[in-house]
Amino acid sequence: MFHKLDFNAGWVAVGALLFFLVGATLTTILPQMSEASWTTPLEGSRAYSEQELRGKAIYQREGCWYCHTQQIRTLEADTKRYGWRGVDAPISLPGEYVRDAPHVLGTRRAGPDLARVGGKYDKSWHKTHFNNPRDLVPGSVMPPFPWIVTDNGGQDLKNLIAYIQTLGRTRDWRPDDDYEE
Amino acid sequence: MRWFILSSIVFFVITATVGLLLSLKFVWPEFMGTAKWLTFGRLRPLHVNGILFGWLLAADMGLLFYLVPRLCGNKLWSEKLGLMTVGLFDLVILGAVYTTLSGQTQGLEYAELPLVLDVGVTLAWVFFGVNIFGTILTRKHKKIYVSLWYTMGAVIWTAAVYITGNFLVMFATGVNQANLNWFYVHNAVGLIFTPLGLAIAYYFIPLAVREPLYSHKLSMIGFWSISFIYVWTGAHHMIHGPISQWLQTVAILFSVMLIIPVWTVIVNFFGTVHGRWDRVRQDPILKFLMAGTTFYLLTCLQGPMHSLRTVNAIVSKTDWVVGHAHMAVFGAFSFFAIAGCLYVVPLLSGRKLHSVKLADNTFWLMMVGGLIYFVSLWIGGFMQGLQWNDPSIPFIDTVRFMRPFWIARAFSGVLILAGTILFFYNLIRTFGGTAGGETTTAVGTPVPATA
Repeated sequence: MFHKLDFNAGWVAVGALLFFLVGATLTTILPQMSEASWTTPLEGSRAYSEQELRGKAIYQREGCWYCHTQQIRTLEADTKRYGWRGVDAPISLPGEYVRDAPHVLGTRRAGPDLARVGGKYDKSWHKTHFNNPRDLVPGSVMPPFPWIVTDNGGQDLKNLIAYIQTLGRTRDWRPDDDYEE
Repeated sequence: MRWFILSSIVFFVITATVGLLLSLKFVWPEFMGTAKWLTFGRLRPLHVNGILFGWLLAADMGLLFYLVPRLCGNKLWSEKLGLMTVGLFDLVILGAVYTTLSGQTQGLEYAELPLVLDVGVTLAWVFFGVNIFGTILTRKHKKIYVSLWYTMGAVIWTAAVYITGNFLVMFATGVNQANLNWFYVHNAVGLIFTPLGLAIAYYFIPLAVREPLYSHKLSMIGFWSISFIYVWTGAHHMIHGPISQWLQTVAILFSVMLIIPVWTVIVNFFGTVHGRWDRVRQDPILKFLMAGTTFYLLTCLQGPMHSLRTVNAIVSKTDWVVGHAHMAVFGAFSFFAIAGCLYVVPLLSGRKLHSVKLADNTFWLMMVGGLIYFVSLWIGGFMQGLQWNDPSIPFIDTVRFMRPFWIARAFSGVLILAGTILFFYNLIRTFGGTAGGETTTAVGTPVPATA
């Protein structure tokens, strides 16, 4: 049967497309219909404020997501490493991400994961850190971002910090509510 | 088609330079760090998009404009349309240089370019597809050689994958969007650059070694199995992540099955060269082709291994994966494209290659540079992954640990860039033609025989 394909370009093209479509449909279209958690925001979560969205746009513009993931995986090491003051970080759920477009799950950890970073550090820490990360963390390879601190009279910095402080807060995972401003 | 190759090698040099700059930033984070336009987060998409589209896709298209008509026994369907394709495509790439550096991005891996440039790429691809299918449908040789199957497959799959990854993906959010994004990224490599690279290798390996293809049947099995299996595996980028277990398991199963198409290709290529390795020693083109084949095998053995849950828990999100990705795009598919350019440019310009010795040096610079690159990141990445799995080690210690590996990587970048510049110089001199002399390539027939 396949021998005929040697001579018929049309069948090669149609066959290649059909074979492709089987897997494409079952792995991209089926899951968004079968997995409700992919499209339903987690209960108790709220939409981003305008300021937080502007901050997220800076996160996107500067490519923060190339080096920072936002996902606590189903690995014990992840929950321990990204925990804080003796409390383990909760594992990420699909519902946490529904309001993110573009998504910021990331793929590479040149720097640490940020899914639970909201409230770990205060404003002044972030300001110094963005200006030059090595002032606070010797050995860091994060680029300096002095323009984030100075642009728009400091408004960019405020927006970005507002966004960062939301990360993980939907889960309200600190028993003592000891989040930094 | 010469314009495609010419523009692709220009972008190869530029984006390889950007790659070296990026690697230096890991060693000196402040290096060019206070200039907005040259910060890591903006140079990285320039490097990635520039290499994938500016160099590799353009070079592949140029080479296919050469080999498809030869396999069909006729001329390119429309030379004018071909020129329009190059013009449009290069405009898009130039636009992309501006948008990435100014921080305009859709914020999705491989899909950073803004909508208007996406439309440009899509149009250019439609032009390309029409031209290719036009040529194939009016062919004189009735039997379709395997390179043409891969080319047709690539034209169709690329259209579907690119539209999903750049347009449809914008309608989704969160995990759903991530799933589409990884579907695109993964298939960009597997269903765009793999079939294009294999089309080129299937054409040039038999010709360069002057032997018939080892097995027609194997090439058939390889083609149909990859067209069925590859597309299922996108979710293996999110193993252990916030995504359904069944989808992870499906991705792992199909990732492992990918060994089937890879194996058929490898056996076929090595089988064709079997007993003729003396010719590989003498010919830099064959060296590129066979080193590319070997890297292809290694990449495709790594891939299924990474997808296994236990291995993934160590290597995922580390520099190991960066080493793996560079072996695929640089070590395998760029090597194929380089070999194709070295073969075709002399024929296009009616002269001998400016210097075979220079091509040989290019090979060794890239080979040694590539190996240092891959191996240093594998070792460093694997060890860093192990350290991450021990929460008592502070994160910053695992970063400091990487420094020697990043220094080695930057050094390898110097070698690779040097090779790229030699390659560029060699081809420009061949195009420009001060070397003189008629081409003496001893190819009896432009169509590889099959056994």
